[in-house]
Amino acid sequence: MSVMLTKFESKSNRVKGLSFHPTQPLLAASLHNGSVQLWNYRMGVLVDRFEEHEGPVRAVAFHPSRALLVTGGDDYKIKVWDIRPTNRRCLFTLHGHLDYIRTVQFHHEMPWILSASDDQTIRIWNSTSRNCIAILTGHSHYVMSAQFHPKEDLIVSASQDQTVRVWDISGLRKNTPNTAPGTFDSFDNFSTVKYVLEGHDRGVNWASFHPTLPLIVSAADDRQIKIWRMSETKAWEVDSCRGHFNNVSTALFHPKHELIVSCGEDKTVRVWDLTKRSAVQTFRREHDRFWVLAAHPELNLFAAGHDSGLIVFKLERERPAFAMHADTLYYVRDKYVRAYDFNTGSDIGLLSVRKFGSPYVPPRTLSYNPAERAVVLTISSDNGLYELTTLPKDAVGEVKDSSTDGKRGSGQSAIFVARNRFAVLNKSTQLIEVRDLSNSVVKSIKPPVQTNEIFYGGTASLILSSATSVVLYDIQQQKTLAEITTPPVKYVVWSADGSLVALLSKHTITIANKNFTQHTLIHETIRIKSGAWDDSGVFIYSTLNHIKYCLAQGDHGVICTLDNPVYLTRVKGKTVYCLDRSARPRTITIDPTEYRFKLALLRNNHEEMLYIIRTSNLLGQSIIAYLQHKGFPEIALHFVQDKNTRFDLAIECGNLDVALETAQTIDRPDCWERLAQQALKQGNHKIVEKAYQRTKNFDRLSFLYLATGSTDKLTKMQKIADARGDPMSRFHNALYAGDVHGRIAVLKDVGMYSLAYLTAKTNGLDDVALDILETAGLTEADVDDVPSFGRSTLKPPTVVTPTTAHNWPTLSMGESFFDKALANGNLEGSADVPYLNGVDGGVAASAALDDWAKDEEGAEDIAAEEGAWDLDAEEAAEPEQEEEAIEEEADLGAGANPGVSETELWTRNSPFAADHVAAGSFDTAMQLLSRQFGIVNFSHLKPVFLSIYRSSHVYLSPLASLPPLQLHLRRDPEESSSGRVLPVAVRNLASIRAELSEGFRAVSGNKLPEAQVVFRATLRSLLLVSISSDSEAKEWRDLVTLAREYLLGVTIEIERRRVAHEDPDNVRRSLELAAYFTHCKLQPAHLQIALRSAIGVFAKANNHATAAKFARRLLELNPDPKIVAQARQRIAAGDRNPRNAVEIAYDEFTEFEICGASFTPIYKGSPAVRCPYTDAAYLPQFKGELDPLTELTEIGASSAGLPAPRS
Amino acid sequence: MDSSELYHIKQQFTLGAYKSLVDLTLPDPSSPDYTPTLIYQARAHIALGAPAAAEALVPSDTENVALKSVAALARFVAADAEEARDAALEELRDLSVEIEGEDAEATPWEKGTVRVLAGTAFARAGEIEEALETLGAANDTQNLEAVAYTVQVYLSINRPDLARKEFERAKRWAEDDLLLELIEASIGLVTGKDGYSDAHAFYTEQLANPSLTSPHLLTARGVARLLRGEVSAAQSDLEEAQSQLGGKPDAETLAAQTVAAGLGAAKSTDADQLFSQLSSEYPNHPLVTDYQQKADLFDELAAKFTVPALATASA
Repeated sequence: MSVMLTKFESKSNRVKGLSFHPTQPLLAASLHNGSVQLWNYRMGVLVDRFEEHEGPVRAVAFHPSRALLVTGGDDYKIKVWDIRPTNRRCLFTLHGHLDYIRTVQFHHEMPWILSASDDQTIRIWNSTSRNCIAILTGHSHYVMSAQFHPKEDLIVSASQDQTVRVWDISGLRKNTPNTAPGTFDSFDNFSTVKYVLEGHDRGVNWASFHPTLPLIVSAADDRQIKIWRMSETKAWEVDSCRGHFNNVSTALFHPKHELIVSCGEDKTVRVWDLTKRSAVQTFRREHDRFWVLAAHPELNLFAAGHDSGLIVFKLERERPAFAMHADTLYYVRDKYVRAYDFNTGSDIGLLSVRKFGSPYVPPRTLSYNPAERAVVLTISSDNGLYELTTLPKDAVGEVKDSSTDGKRGSGQSAIFVARNRFAVLNKSTQLIEVRDLSNSVVKSIKPPVQTNEIFYGGTASLILSSATSVVLYDIQQQKTLAEITTPPVKYVVWSADGSLVALLSKHTITIANKNFTQHTLIHETIRIKSGAWDDSGVFIYSTLNHIKYCLAQGDHGVICTLDNPVYLTRVKGKTVYCLDRSARPRTITIDPTEYRFKLALLRNNHEEMLYIIRTSNLLGQSIIAYLQHKGFPEIALHFVQDKNTRFDLAIECGNLDVALETAQTIDRPDCWERLAQQALKQGNHKIVEKAYQRTKNFDRLSFLYLATGSTDKLTKMQKIADARGDPMSRFHNALYAGDVHGRIAVLKDVGMYSLAYLTAKTNGLDDVALDILETAGLTEADVDDVPSFGRSTLKPPTVVTPTTAHNWPTLSMGESFFDKALANGNLEGSADVPYLNGVDGGVAASAALDDWAKDEEGAEDIAAEEGAWDLDAEEAAEPEQEEEAIEEEADLGAGANPGVSETELWTRNSPFAADHVAAGSFDTAMQLLSRQFGIVNFSHLKPVFLSIYRSSHVYLSPLASLPPLQLHLRRDPEESSSGRVLPVAVRNLASIRAELSEGFRAVSGNKLPEAQVVFRATLRSLLLVSISSDSEAKEWRDLVTLAREYLLGVTIEIERRRVAHEDPDNVRRSLELAAYFTHCKLQPAHLQIALRSAIGVFAKANNHATAAKFARRLLELNPDPKIVAQARQRIAAGDRNPRNAVEIAYDEFTEFEICGASFTPIYKGSPAVRCPYTDAAYLPQFKGELDPLTELTEIGASSAGLPAPRS
Repeated sequence: MDSSELYHIKQQFTLGAYKSLVDLTLPDPSSPDYTPTLIYQARAHIALGAPAAAEALVPSDTENVALKSVAALARFVAADAEEARDAALEELRDLSVEIEGEDAEATPWEKGTVRVLAGTAFARAGEIEEALETLGAANDTQNLEAVAYTVQVYLSINRPDLARKEFERAKRWAEDDLLLELIEASIGLVTGKDGYSDAHAFYTEQLANPSLTSPHLLTARGVARLLRGEVSAAQSDLEEAQSQLGGKPDAETLAAQTVAAGLGAAKSTDADQLFSQLSSEYPNHPLVTDYQQKADLFDELAAKFTVPALATASA
């Protein structure tokens, strides 16, 4: 008990009276200046103030069950207050005392108020009738305090007359007189003094009963605290506690422990051992005399009032020391290490730690080692101690005390770091010692930062907490792995699989991954108490008054509120397991829907989201807002009933159908306008049309019809315009519709004859023009001076595509998962889709067609459990094996059957040939290759197969002369679950890219045969690459295509050289091949080579025109200036001499592919067969033959293609 | 308890420092350490692939069952012919029956040694069941060496679960023994995940042991690093092991180097070169024999596919 844990402190005038609210975090303080304050000490806010007393208020007390407060002041008045915020007022005032009132108290069940006064009386009032019902007289000086006994009909009072008196009020209960005030004589019957306790040499300031034992404690100006015992017949002084060196103001029994707490004018609060009557601890204050002390009736909380305010404090940490392992919680209660089984609920004491450190201090931390079934505890007393003890196998009979075989030492922080090692931090010397189980130091580490606490940091690592940061520290290498700046971290919680860690500070949570490379920080205004990981990777934490959740990316929210703080130990499904402040295991049922939904959303786990939508109906406004905020309006749309919101969301996510539907129900112009805009954006002109029609937006409608080429609609619009009597609109529509007669008619109708005439004239409608003249009363002669215009060409463009007939949505509406699922009505087998444990489980489970998937799930669960423990996972697996030991014992021994080999797992776990090759299962590998890529000729693959197989296993003989063990290299050394292990990737895309670039170099260096070999080898290696993601699959495909193009190009060029060498007269073929070479999709640098070579060959053959074309293509590639100059020469030569001497089969204007066997073009649209692996094109005649490029596949064979990666 | 010399010898043997054991001068024949030292030295010879030297060490007229068994193991390892092997096996069988007898004049240590050596031979001969029987699997024999061998046999038949069980049982009575840690490391190498780091940590720790140098440890750490995917670190370990071996890597190191080369950035020719070295120097190493088997398998399987004629322009 080296510290008084101050929870709250306020500055004010002198505090004379204090009272805790029995259930709420409220504290009433009466002040010397006449004010009564109501504090919420948990939030640290002043809730209310009552200021009706005149002069100092010394007495204050809460009602034990109702929202009432009683106060008594130096104005002789007792006031009763309603403290409900809505109804706060003084209910009534009790008059009667003739001097200062020192203490007041409500009775725990009767409607009585007890008051003690300087008028030497103690009075009992009926708060219902508001009468004084008893006056206890006998004290011959000020009565400083009076208290009801918590159960019996007794009162204890203390007085300046140096006595403590115990009063029997049982008579009062029997016949509560309801007499009018003033008839004092009748009281004498029941106000009998039972005992008068004499012993103090000076005035007594305080006396109070023990909550359960027949004991009284009193505090007096003789600087002593006396303990008195009573029996049925007498009472006597037991002992005194001496130590205060000034008047003792108050002394109280600790409600839970065998302690006395006192305070006095010597500016100290002292704690005494009740049984030994010895001082345990003293807390000193510099300047403030203490006047009053109050204990919380339930909690380990005290309040002390002093000259300049009050403090609320705890005497000990309430946070129980605990550690989790598998389904068991190991924790300390009342100085016993106990084990609580989450499944069975059994809760047994295993070990006593009573003799460890100060008897008044509970252990601070506990670290559990499942392999050795040992615990290491720390305690803060004696400057920090640790103790290592093994737990007994089963707790039968006498519980062992840790002092019998515990190994101790000093240190502030101690945790297990391995099966047989634990680390101890010594804060003052700043040294971390790694000790073995016999408590001898194995290694000493000087931490790189000023370390206040150490935590488990993963295998062979520690997390060091300093004032400004946490450091991940490797014990083996003795170096800092990573550091995160945070406020001082007080607790560390690892996720079940050990991949995430939550670092808890007072007001922040940092969620980091296991190597601290990523982290997010969450701020809390309320003190954070504890946390635990949900099995789906959500961190659930408790603050003083809430249980909240937090997703790894930082989203957090409230799950439920708490009356009192709890310490979370584990979260499973809807159940939160925790320890309450008296270290009793409790469970709280929470509703995890909200965070699970958010998690599913983040992980795109649509099945689960749908399941949640289907099975729960909360999803209120906040979820909708969240979805909208996070950019998932289309999902939010499914929850919304309110049509306005629905419309907004539908517009936001471009769901026109829903938008139209809701717009029809809302039917407001602004909705139609927005719908029209959105529909126009998406090209859905039918909806635009409908919206314009609804809003009677004729202008736009006409223009829309023009744009969509809907002439008949325009005609209709003309009629509508006519009906509306809007000539301007009629004219527009006539213009849009190309209806000259209509236009003339409009102009005529509005009397613009001149324009009508000219329109008719310029459109060659002379008869009409004459008519107009006639109507206007003119003859042709009158318009002689009008110049004649040419024929008008004004007309709308002709309709090429009848867009009007169909919508042309440019914005494709990917059918959302939800649309589908919700459209199908009932979700199929919705009952069968249980809540999946998050981690990628959803997809895998739904596709649970394959056995491996099932295996994987089973194995996954175990893996997660293993990881749950913060020691080495493989050691954690041990207890489980012990359980099985009985059934399997028969197996253990000489007759042990061989198990499933790693290689077998590999073949089971992978659809990729490469992994089967690594496993040595050439048989299945070949079948896969043949099925996936149509490979038939394996002879070339032999070296690749064998080298991959050879590189996937390593041999070691740990023991002399035994045959070496075959060890299997895994792709992910962190993976050990049998459903997931895969062989090491001997060939990967990176290594193949390196291979390819070697080929590129050979091309650049004109070593074509070499390049051909390399590209062939690359294509062969690519067959044996495992793909782990879609992006890798794409990259793989690109590499295959790239290698194929180069192989084809190089092969063509080799063929050209062969032709040029062996058949020099066949210039035509040589030219063709050179031209085709330039059409292989090479990288620009290599394409330049191809083009330059082609230019050279063509120029030599006097095909200057084509050479010039190649030169132009060359220029497009931005080559060197020197090459540019040459190319320009070629172009000039081509311009001078635009002829081709040799006719060749080369049509550069039509797209073509090149047959890989005959090297002839296959123009677009001509039939072709393909290589099932590289997709190289061949003339149909080659179907069924061996692909000459890679020499692996049968041309035209069907193939399944690259299997989908299983991640 | 063992004398400190013997303790040191045992430690060296456990950690594979066979070279230094072979070079050891034997104590006085009257010393109680004489026979154990002799046996460890002989076993070191066998481990180094020199069974003849081991046989030569053992006096032919010895009545000691342990010495007789080590000689028999040496003969078994050295034997090429089937009959010679069988004869040696028979001898070991007789010896293991002999120590079971009530009146056997042998110390527990000697009995244990006989069991371990006989078990070794049976395991080499592929008689897994007999090996486990002899090593006393599932019996609480409290012979840690036998446990270690049992564990390895379990591991070789893919039963890491049983291996771990055996290990857990041993842990109850053999706390903090070096051999126990070795057992754990071996299990870790097979089971993987954190097991790799345990093994890696163990070998690293033992490499720092100032009282011996053993290239075997370096090789083992190299292998552990390979398993952890740290190829370049593994290669440097293996190179160091090679230099400690005087530039000429033993079969184990060479095999690991081959694998590392195949995984590393180096060209595949390096791996092929190392492999051809391995197959010429140690044709019986499982990597070589297994490779040959797989190569034959490949040819056999590839032949099942009919390869059509190559498509050519003339066709």
